[in-house]
Order: sequence, then C-alpha cells, then structure tokens
Amino acid sequence: MKDRLHELEKDALAAIDGAGSPATLQEIRVAFLGKKGAVTDIMKGMRDLTPEERPFVGALVNSLKESLESAFTSRSSALQQAAVNERISSEKIDISLPGRQAFSGSKHPVTLVTEEIVEIFGKLGFCVEEGPEIERDFYNFEALNIPKDHPARDMQDTFYVSEDLVLRTHTSPVQIRSMLKQKPPLRVIAPGTVYRRDSDITHSPMFHQIEGFLVDQNVTFGDLKGILTHFLTNCFGDNLGVRFRPSFFPFTEPSAEVDIACVMCGGNGCRVCKGTGWLEILGCGMIDPKVFKSVNYDAEQLSGFAFGMGIERIAMLKYGVSDLRLFFENDLRFLRQF
Amino acid sequence: MIVTYNWLKEFVDFDYSPQDLADRLTMVGLEVEGITFIGDGFDTVIVARLEKVEPHPNADRLTVCQVNNGHGVVQVVCGATNHKTGDTIALAQPGSVLPGDFKIKKSKIRGQESVGMLCSEKELGLSSEAAGIMILDSALEIGTPVFDALKLKDAVLEIGLTPNRPDCLSVVGIAREVAAMCGKPLTLPLSTLVARGVDITKSAGVVIDDSQGCPRYAARMIRDVKIGPSPDWMVQRLESIGLRSINNVVDVTNYVMMELGHPMHAFDFRDLVQGEIIVKRATEKEPFTTLDDAKHQLSSEDLMICDGERPVALAGVMGGLNSEVREDTSIILLEAAYFNPTIIRRTSKRHGLHTESSHRFERGADIDMIPVVLDRAAALIADLAGGEIAAGLIDVYPVLLPKVEITLSAANTAKILGIHIDLQQIIRLLKGIGLDVVSDKIDTDGTIVVGVPSFRPDLGREIDLIEEVARLYGYDNLPITMPRACFESQLEKPELKLEAKVRNLLVGSGFSEIINYSFFAPSAARKLHLAADDQRLESVRILNPLNEDQAVMRTTLVPSMLDTLARNLSHRSTDLHLFELRPVFFASGDENGSRQELHLAAAISGQKAPLSWNHTKEPVDFYDMKGVLEKILTLLCVKDPCFDSENSETYLHPGKSAKICSGKTILGYIGEVHPQVLQEFDLGQEVYLLELNLDKVFEMAGNYAAFTVPSKFPAVERDSSLLIKESVEAQKVLAVAQKSLGKLGQNIVIFDVYKGKGVPAGKKSIALRVRYSSPDKTLTEDEVAKAHGKLIKSVCHQLEAEIR
Repeated sequence: MKDRLHELEKDALAAIDGAGSPATLQEIRVAFLGKKGAVTDIMKGMRDLTPEERPFVGALVNSLKESLESAFTSRSSALQQAAVNERISSEKIDISLPGRQAFSGSKHPVTLVTEEIVEIFGKLGFCVEEGPEIERDFYNFEALNIPKDHPARDMQDTFYVSEDLVLRTHTSPVQIRSMLKQKPPLRVIAPGTVYRRDSDITHSPMFHQIEGFLVDQNVTFGDLKGILTHFLTNCFGDNLGVRFRPSFFPFTEPSAEVDIACVMCGGNGCRVCKGTGWLEILGCGMIDPKVFKSVNYDAEQLSGFAFGMGIERIAMLKYGVSDLRLFFENDLRFLRQF
Repeated sequence: MIVTYNWLKEFVDFDYSPQDLADRLTMVGLEVEGITFIGDGFDTVIVARLEKVEPHPNADRLTVCQVNNGHGVVQVVCGATNHKTGDTIALAQPGSVLPGDFKIKKSKIRGQESVGMLCSEKELGLSSEAAGIMILDSALEIGTPVFDALKLKDAVLEIGLTPNRPDCLSVVGIAREVAAMCGKPLTLPLSTLVARGVDITKSAGVVIDDSQGCPRYAARMIRDVKIGPSPDWMVQRLESIGLRSINNVVDVTNYVMMELGHPMHAFDFRDLVQGEIIVKRATEKEPFTTLDDAKHQLSSEDLMICDGERPVALAGVMGGLNSEVREDTSIILLEAAYFNPTIIRRTSKRHGLHTESSHRFERGADIDMIPVVLDRAAALIADLAGGEIAAGLIDVYPVLLPKVEITLSAANTAKILGIHIDLQQIIRLLKGIGLDVVSDKIDTDGTIVVGVPSFRPDLGREIDLIEEVARLYGYDNLPITMPRACFESQLEKPELKLEAKVRNLLVGSGFSEIINYSFFAPSAARKLHLAADDQRLESVRILNPLNEDQAVMRTTLVPSMLDTLARNLSHRSTDLHLFELRPVFFASGDENGSRQELHLAAAISGQKAPLSWNHTKEPVDFYDMKGVLEKILTLLCVKDPCFDSENSETYLHPGKSAKICSGKTILGYIGEVHPQVLQEFDLGQEVYLLELNLDKVFEMAGNYAAFTVPSKFPAVERDSSLLIKESVEAQKVLAVAQKSLGKLGQNIVIFDVYKGKGVPAGKKSIALRVRYSSPDKTLTEDEVAKAHGKLIKSVCHQLEAEIR
C-alpha cells in the first residue's frame, strides 16, 4: 500500500510539473483528486482495511493529499505568473501618442478677470449687486452729481435711447440703486457692461467695469487706500508700486486716480506706460455728500468710498493683450488661450 | 491745457527740472500727459556767418557759401536766394538730425563740397512755412547752438485738466500751483498803461439786457492801431502751445487768454452800429455768421453781443464775421466779460462750436480778472500794434456775485482723511494756493473760515476744502488703513449662482465663451424670418448710434452668434462649440420703457471631437446639442422639462428642432439652423443652436431633490424591444413607462432605436432597459417579472405598441 501511494505521488508530481496550462493542470487535478480520481479511489478502498491498518494508511493518504495540493497550488501560481509575464512582455503601446481629448472650453477673459476681482472683494465681505444696462438719466447722472449742462458730462460720451434713458456710461448707478434699496453699512461690488460713444483702437463702444463701494461710520480716505492697495497687490502681485494722485469725479470728493508701477517694464518706462513707469488702473474717492443726499443718507453720520475700474484694461495688462478689439472679435484662436 | 516751462518761469522762480516739474504737477492733480522738448538734440545747429556767397559754377540756382562757424571757415552749398555775404545764419553741421529724421551729412553737390546746411525756420521745426533760410540777428555769438542763442529751448507740458479746475486753464493758474509746491511767490504780469484822448464813454456804450446771462461786461478802446504780423517771440510762443498766429491784435487776445485765463474779444469798432454793445438773448431763428464763416440759426436761448442793430458775437463762444478785426481796422473795442456757464455750454453744444473761449466760460471764468486782462491786453496791443488807448474804462457790473466763505474744521478733515493735520499747517496749505483764511475767525476749537477767491468756482463746501488740504498735503502722505469691520447681512441674488453654474457647465462641456456687442443692425433680427408680430422685432433704438450696424439693442443673441460662427469658419476654425450668456433688451416693458432679459445662446458645428489619431471622424448632431441642454436642465433641477417639435422657430429646421418648455413656461428653442438661414449668414456647414431665456429657466429651477439611500441588495435589469408607430415620440414612451415604474423600478434607458429591415413600414423599434431593485431585499425572479410585465403592458396598451 505504501509503495502504491509512493508510486502515485511520483506520477502525480511528474504530471503536475509537466502541466503547461491552467486547463491541463485542472484535468490532472481531477484525475488525482477529483470524485473519481486515483487518490479518491484509494480513500474509497479504506473501508476494506483492517481497523489497525486504517490510521496508518489514513495518515499516509492525508500526507499524499497535502503534498499534491501544495504542488497544485505552487504550479498554478507559477503558471499564472508565466501567463502574466507572457502578457506584459507581448503588450507594448506608444505612450507618446497624444491622449484622447474632448474639446476644452474657455471662459472669456473679461469673465475671468471679473470673477477674480469679485472673489478678492468677496473675501473682504463685498456683495455682488447688479443694475440695468439701459438706465435712467437720474441714476446714471443726476443722482451722481452730474447735472444736465455740466461740463462733467463731457467726460463720458453717451448713447441715448430717449431724453431720459441712456445706455449706462459706467457702473456707478448701481451705487445709487443699492443705497436706495438697502440701509448702511454697505459693501458692494458691482460688475457690469457699460457703453460710451467712442470707437477707435483704444476705445470700444461697449466695455466692462467693476464698481465697488463701502458705506459706514468713520470710513476714511486711509481705508480707501488700504482696501485698494490690498486689492491691487492681490491682483497684480506683491511689492507692486501703487500711487494715489488727485483727480476729479463728480460723485467722489476727495477723488483719486490710482496708478500701479508698469507691469510691462517694472516702472522703468516703456511704450505701454508712455515712458512714465506708471499705469492708470482705477478711479476712486470718498463718496460725495451730494450723492448721500440724493439717496437720503445722512452725510453727517456716514462716510464711504467708491471705486471703479475697466475690466478690459486689467485683462490687457494681466494677459499682455495689446489690442482692445480682440476682446470682441470672438476669434476662437484667441479665446481658447484663456 | 498746454504750458511751457519757460513761460511758467516768468511767474514763479522754481528750481525743478522739466521732468521733475511734470511729476510734481501730476501728483497735485494736474496730470502731465506728455512733455515735448523744443530744441532738444539740435546742439549741432549753430549760429554762423556767411563770409562769402558766390554763384555755384555748375548750377544756376545754387550758391556756394564760405561759412564761419566760430572755429574756422567751411564751404556749404545752398539753394536759397535770400542770403548774402555778411548774414548771420543757422548752420546745421554734419551729424545733425533735423525734424522728420532728416540727417545732415558732408556731401558734394554738383562737384562742390558742402559741409552742412543753412537752415530755414521750417527745417528747424520753428514754423510751418518758410520763404528762405533764417537770417539771424547779427549780434548773436557765432558758434553757439541756435536754440540757446535764440532762447528757444523749452519744454512743452501737456496737462490733462479735470473739468473742476478752470483756474488752471492759464499759465498763471498753473504757476500758482507751482508756487504753492515750492513755497515761492507768484508774480503776476505787470501792465503799465497809458490811456489818453477822448474818453471811451464818449464814443461807445454798453447795456446789459440780461444780467443773469452776463453779470459783468467791460470794454476798452484802442485807436489808430496798425494791424500786422506779430513779432517773432509772440508767434513762437503761440505756436509752442499749438495756436496759430493771426495778426498782432487777435494774437494779443489769445496770448492774454492763455496767460491769465480769461477769454477776450476784439471788435472792429467801425462795424458796431451806433457804437453800442447790447448783451441780450437772440431772436429765434435769426441767422448769424461766425468769424469762421459758418452760418448758424440762432435760438432765443443764445446769449448775443449786439450792436445798435444786429448781433455781432455769439457771447463767450465766437465773434461774428460782420465785426471781426481786418487788415484795415483802426479802432478796436476790446471786450472782457463774464458769461453764465450753463448758457454758454448750451449755445456751444447747440451750434457745435467748442472754442477756447467757450471751454473756459462753461467751466467758470474768473469775474475779478476782467479789469486785469483788459489792461494787460490793451497795453500789449498798444505795444505791438501802435495806437492809443482811449481814456476811461467801461465796466458794467450790475449785480455783484456773492463772496464765498466756507467754514472748515480740522476735526472733519481728520474724519475724512484718517489723519490729524495741524490747523496751522492747514492754513499754510490753503494760503499757498491763494485762498484767504479770515484771520479773525480762526477758532481755538479748530475751525477756520476760508474766503474763496473768484478764480476757484469749484470750491463751495467744506468737503471741497478737505480735498484741497489732502491734495496739497499729498495723497502719498495719507495713511494706509483697513476699515473697521462692520457687517450687515446682505444676500446676493440667487440667480448669480445659477448663472455661474451654467457658465461653468458649458465651459466644462467644451464650449468657449464669446462676448458680442449688445447692439446690432435693425435688419439683423429680420434675417431670422420672424413673424411680423414677433416681439424681437421691437427693439430699443439708440438715438445717436455710431453707425447703422449698431443702431438697436439686441433682442436675440442668435444673429451675432451666427455671424461669429461664420467669421470663425472663415479663419478655418471649423469645429466650433461657442456660447454667449448676455442680456437682450425689449422695447416694451417696465417703468423704464425697456426690459432686460438674460439669455443664453449656444451653438455647435463641425466634428464631435478634435481631429486626432484616436477619434473617428463624426460630425455633431442635434442630440449633441440636446445633451448639453439636458445637462443644464438637470443641473438646475428644472421642473417637468418637455420638448415640442410642432412649434419651433422660423430660423430652425422644422424637422430637427423643438420648443423647450417647463410645464407651460417657454424656456427657449433648440435645433438645427434652417438651411436657408445658413446660406444667408454664409455658413457652409450645419449648425445646431440653443437659445434659452435664462430668467425663465431660473424661475423654473427647482431645489435639489432629497437623495435616496442606495440599496444594499443587487439590482436586476430587464430589456424589452417594442414595436411602435413611428410618429409616437420617445418622450411619450418614456413618460408612460416612467408612470408605470412602480415601487421597484429605478430608471429607464432607451438603448436602441431602429427602423428598417425587419420592422414594418410606419413603425419603429424602441428598446428599453429597466432597472429594478428593492431597498430591503434581493428581488426574486417572480417579483421582477411581474413589475416589468406590468410596465411593458401599460406602454403597449397606451401607445398601441407590441413586443417585438
């Protein structure tokens, strides 16, 4: 019996070793360990043995089974490994070929810059407000201390829809609308489309502005400088030269024009900054008491500042776009670059 | 406003270089927009003397000159005829570069050596015309640069003035600011005037009929003047600031206006009927010819200077042709007056006449300056044009303009500026620009009373003075602080978020955002073949458009989208995914007489995917566009979206388009652009288009529906193919199936649609895959079969379908 088992083990191990595929290995397994397999046959013959022989032979059979199982497992994993090796050595692609692309979309640079500015002011607690683009003369001019027949109206060439309706020339009317709608304190940022009757290389009859303002008690010109310096360094980078110089807007007093050190030449003077080293970037000032009066705010108790800037101008400086017209030609070759 | 460095120096003795001066002016609010240097780079053009002038041996029209340049004698060939031996001239030596990039080189002209060029005024940029070379004063030192010798070196500063500063529309006005910044006194021009003979009041009279329009009118008379050209210094100075010399009298009025800021007018006195001046409003529709020979029809609002019979000048704007100074004028009536800014502005606008004079009057002239300029100009005229200033002065000043006094407190100044500035310093700053601090009204609690001189009409309130203090203190010296945070709950419009979501979705889906002008041609909407009563044909019209192509506000984004596609196709960008998210405008509407609506237009054309080795070429179709639309509707949880193929737009293909609704609300339209419209817009390939009224879409947007917990038990899928009438729309099938889903049904997908072989004519096959699952058990075969059977049965029953 013992010899028979030895013989069987030898045959089985030889067969396992010679199995060239998982399928053959499985057949061999069935032949030896299956229901009608050789080892099973021996197990079946156990009942013919004497009770004394049984434990001895049983132990031998179990040991044979274990030995075969282990041989099957190791052969099986060897075969699997071989199959994997075979597969990876035969499969090779050119990973340098371009990947499968869908079309990539793009936001208009005007949108990108608007979003960036709104985000910076949003973090400072400024809320977005909007106003209509066809605007009443009152909101666009009168309430902003730009009376009819005032030379300040010459600062903005206006498109008229009727005697009382204009295409808004700036986003400042949103100041009036917001203040009439809400009580102070107020922090508002108002992006929008504006129109001026002017068209050449540096002027577009339609462009975009962002207006911002803050109204509260004890707001100072120093606060205006603080907020705008924070904004400009966030938008254009640290250690940016910023200067405030006196200017005039009918709806602010004191008024200022803000320049940043030229982003093209670093302030040394170039064609973009006309050799001055400075770029005019926005207009601002303390809200004029007459504006407060037009919205029934108490100018004795309140103060505030307002500012406005052209979005295309900032986009041109940020992205180095030299021609304003590119923004409205909608050439996909231009738009895709943003 | 243009001033020159040397001119400013006449009134204040400052030490700044031109560049430094420009920077400082900019920082006090007088922005210098440009500096031009006169005579810069011309140092090699020197004063020289002609030692000998001989005819050129080989050319009739040329001369050969021996020129003494101070170091020796050189030979120069010259083509002019106005020079002779002994003349002092301007010699451009080799190496000089004259205006127009004209380089002077040593050369040979018809065999004669020529070392340089004898220059004319024109060649040196000193005048626009020249008859010959420039003959200089023989007293000038030979060898010195011409521009130094003639004291012509100067810097011209171009200042962009804000409309609140009429006081700086003069050299003296700007000099006043310079004096304040350098702490030196301002010296006004002196005029010593000898007036004699018959008193002016004996021969002329002035009546102000409209003292609101003209509060003050003054005049002087100069007799026996000789009209002629102005001297060189006058011509050059006027030209340096961009004015053309006319004659000695007119030039003086312009010169004094530039110097002191107050406009003046000179009449030929013999043309003034009855020697009278009457200031009054015009007669409606009366014709009048201004001295530029332009004819105007007057309005009864125009303020006129009239003589005894007729208008002779459009007050404060321009004189009349009928009384202008001519070559043979001998008696001058010189006018200096103050006119109401609004009246002048209206007249100037009405007649399209913007002059140096109207520019100053409409911003506010200096009423106290009137006698000063009159004397200054009279003296200069007598000096340059001879003649005799008549004794006496007419000065009609019926109503004195009130003196402005403003109380300023140091505390309020600190409150606005965020820094405490000492009261003494405030006083010093304000006095520096000529304001009058009333000394007996300086209060110990920190308030002062400031008298505003008449040259600063912009100062009327305390805040105006605070701005002056800030400006003179220097904006750069004010502190940088952050505001004390004080928040109030402010809610943004929820639509702003939705708008951002839609934009982000489109960009993520491969679309590029475009921005077109908000206006288009009135014909643009008509190109869409809209019905006659379509509201999109009622656009808001701009009264003063730049051109007809931009004359009305857009009522739809479609025409500009199609134009943009066509333009891109012409650039060979053939695969296009574009969108525009902008407002449109309608004429009828709210109290404003117009209504603004936010729209979205999206368009696709060309290939589904960019050309690549790993994509098959396949053009986009209706369902690509619809897929994007469905994403938008799903993202915004729009309620009950449905598509109506029967009532689409005129500019869309009737078989491949739909109206998009949510319940009964129309949201927009989607479809293939009508082949005829494609042709009209020069589009050579199919375009699929979507236009949504986003205001409506946002109105129908729902809230995010509560989520359902995913089942832990396996789901089962069942497929069924149904034969159904071709005319039954898929959305109908889905709607019926959706209603019959029962408790176990999860979702339904149409995974195949087939027509053709094997399917009877007039029918189509639609294959549905339905997914079933239960939240609390594994479904048995029976349960699934029952649920699915019920679903298919109701579809078959309701839509006359059968299982294939």
